[in-house]
Amino acid sequence: MSEQFEPEIVAFVCTYCTYAGADLAGTSRLKYAPNVRIIRLPCTGRISPMFILKALQKGADGVLISGCHPGDCHFTHGNYHARRRWMVFRALLNFIGIPPERIKYSWISAAEGLKFADLINSITEDIRKLGPFEQYDKLIAETEAQASL
Amino acid sequence: MTKILYTDKLDNCVERWRSAGLSVIGPVRNANITAYRPVGSAADLELSQILPDRSIKELFFPQTEPMMRYSIKKDAINTEECLPPVGPRIIFGARPCDASGLAIDDPLFGWDYKDEYWFNRRNETVIVSIACTKSDEFCMCTSLKLSPDSTKGSDVLLRPLESGKGWQVEELTDRGREAFKAIAELLTEGAEAAAPTAVVAEKFDADACSEWLRNPENFESRFWKEISVRCIGCGSCTYLCPTCHCFDIQDEGDTFTGIRRKNWDSCSFALFTMHTSGHNPRSTQSARWRQRIMHKFNYFPGKFSANSCSGCGRCTRQCPVDMGITETLQEISKLSQ
Amino acid sequence: MSIEQQYRTRAKELLSSGEVKMVIGYSKGSTPDRRRPAFISTPEDVETLVLDGACIANLSGYLVTEGLLSDEKRVAVFLRPEGIRAINILAAEFQLNAAQVEILGFNTEGNEPTALSGSKVDDFAELIGTLKGIIPDTAGEELYKKLEAMSPQERFDFWQSEFSKCIKCYACRQACPMCYCRRCIVDNNQPQWVNTSSHTLGNFEWNIVRAFHLSGRCVECGNCDRACPVNIPLRLINRKMAGEVLEAFDHFAGSSQTQEPVMASFKKDDTETFIL
Repeated sequence: MSEQFEPEIVAFVCTYCTYAGADLAGTSRLKYAPNVRIIRLPCTGRISPMFILKALQKGADGVLISGCHPGDCHFTHGNYHARRRWMVFRALLNFIGIPPERIKYSWISAAEGLKFADLINSITEDIRKLGPFEQYDKLIAETEAQASL
Repeated sequence: MTKILYTDKLDNCVERWRSAGLSVIGPVRNANITAYRPVGSAADLELSQILPDRSIKELFFPQTEPMMRYSIKKDAINTEECLPPVGPRIIFGARPCDASGLAIDDPLFGWDYKDEYWFNRRNETVIVSIACTKSDEFCMCTSLKLSPDSTKGSDVLLRPLESGKGWQVEELTDRGREAFKAIAELLTEGAEAAAPTAVVAEKFDADACSEWLRNPENFESRFWKEISVRCIGCGSCTYLCPTCHCFDIQDEGDTFTGIRRKNWDSCSFALFTMHTSGHNPRSTQSARWRQRIMHKFNYFPGKFSANSCSGCGRCTRQCPVDMGITETLQEISKLSQ
Repeated sequence: MSIEQQYRTRAKELLSSGEVKMVIGYSKGSTPDRRRPAFISTPEDVETLVLDGACIANLSGYLVTEGLLSDEKRVAVFLRPEGIRAINILAAEFQLNAAQVEILGFNTEGNEPTALSGSKVDDFAELIGTLKGIIPDTAGEELYKKLEAMSPQERFDFWQSEFSKCIKCYACRQACPMCYCRRCIVDNNQPQWVNTSSHTLGNFEWNIVRAFHLSGRCVECGNCDRACPVNIPLRLINRKMAGEVLEAFDHFAGSSQTQEPVMASFKKDDTETFIL
């Protein structure tokens, strides 16, 4: 049997809710897929679309963005701004031809350790089904190659 | 009697050159743009356009190219030099203005340090130009002491026949003769007349302009601000120019591994001369436009005794706000009288 | 009296009375079908102004030229409806004071320009209201529909071939009235989010960033598309984004000078169907 594809997923999370939720998952000894690398940020409002693009460029197969539920933002409305931004960014990526299914969004509070563990498991499976993200491979190869002319 | 190459033999020529080890490059139209690109067969060639949208310089000085790879490990720093691709090539169907542009830049890339990226490619490339029988209102080669059938920079010059069925062949250099040996039997001896070359009206007096530019009093002239007020500061003119040669060196990568690249740069950009301190000696767009004109028609000829312009007219043809060298030099011609 | 003559007269009046210090309009270009931006500051020069079907460039970007409006004097400018919307956005984003802008409004139906009545940006509110959701220039519509029907991979291949032509001359940025940043993200190198090299990957990054920054701000004047020297159909990306913000947030860019920028505002009940 061939080895199962293990996706690499980068998660950009806010420190006040989702990161605390992930912490809770850990302290509760919940087991979840080891495919996620978490990057902690002050707020979902701080997550620039450039982060997502760079993650995909540097080899991520999927990206997760997660923060406080609407109404719970530590900065009162950072997540509302972020929500609008993702709505638009998703459409843009889709139009450019990067499948939006590779980028997941969620609200996870500090109390939702279980939701965090479940979500990581389910998105890992989703991305596994999509297979490795290879669209950028040719472009990256071009940047590393000798000039063509 | 002259040697004649008929159009229907062109496909065989491409084959012959390829089997002689040359890669064949020519104007190719793809995705709404004509540029000098590798050619599969003669059918790929787009020779009817007045001139390709993009200049020939990118075959010798690409918009981006790697110079060096680096990697840093615990106790070793590795660097690996990247040189341009090797192998002889032939460019079929260059325009005389493009070929002249290369010849104009040769002394620049070789005056003290010989730029390998440029000369490795130059020394391996045969340039077959086709004289122009068409021109448009932006062409200005004649104002730069060149012509639609100028031989400067070309290894072979082809003159279209009046019948439109081929070209008269004029071999100019040993490199050109060598390349045409491979297709000697595809050439015919004939007396067929060549079509008249395009008539390109002289638009300005480049010598008078250079003289005006050399006068230090004119450096601070109000003229610069007036002529460039609508310039939006993009790099379209620079990047389409066959002689503009400024570049920037950038390290792309992270602390441990990366590639040092040579990228096109443009004096039209505000960032071009920006100092780390925040001071910018060319702080206005008019100063930047003045630099572009001064460089081409004053500083460059001062050092290399030729204007850094071959008159292709791409700068004006593509300018989003209808500026360009032609208008500026026409105005300077008026001022210098 | 032709609209051209009518507007020349008005420009002359504005300049002679000192109501404006400059008129930004169009004059003859280097070929019969070209028009170029003209900056007129004396009543005598008004005769060089041209107004016809070839006057399509959006001139509003010149208003944010450093120092132009800082003396609080007024400037008149020839604008089509997209240009007027651009003034609204620039005012809403505090880049200019709309009271300093005298609008010489016109539209081009077919090949003949028609006058738009009004002189202050708010005079055109009703007109702009009727334009909501209408694509100003449907050039490329066929290609747009084709792209919409493609799979993401096919679209990616399409844009890969288009962006591989990009030479990063930044004509799209410089021609855009909305790209007024003193320091663009691509000009920042600490950190350097966008590669300066114009290999296809770097070109993808640049074009994605450009389109994202213009989402909900683009008025679809087409300046970028026309400026592109390598003919990348940039307007199609902008059209997509304009459609998206209209559908998702009912936001029509440049509706009024008090309109909140779509990316700097929110509603508590914005759609979030995609959030897990």
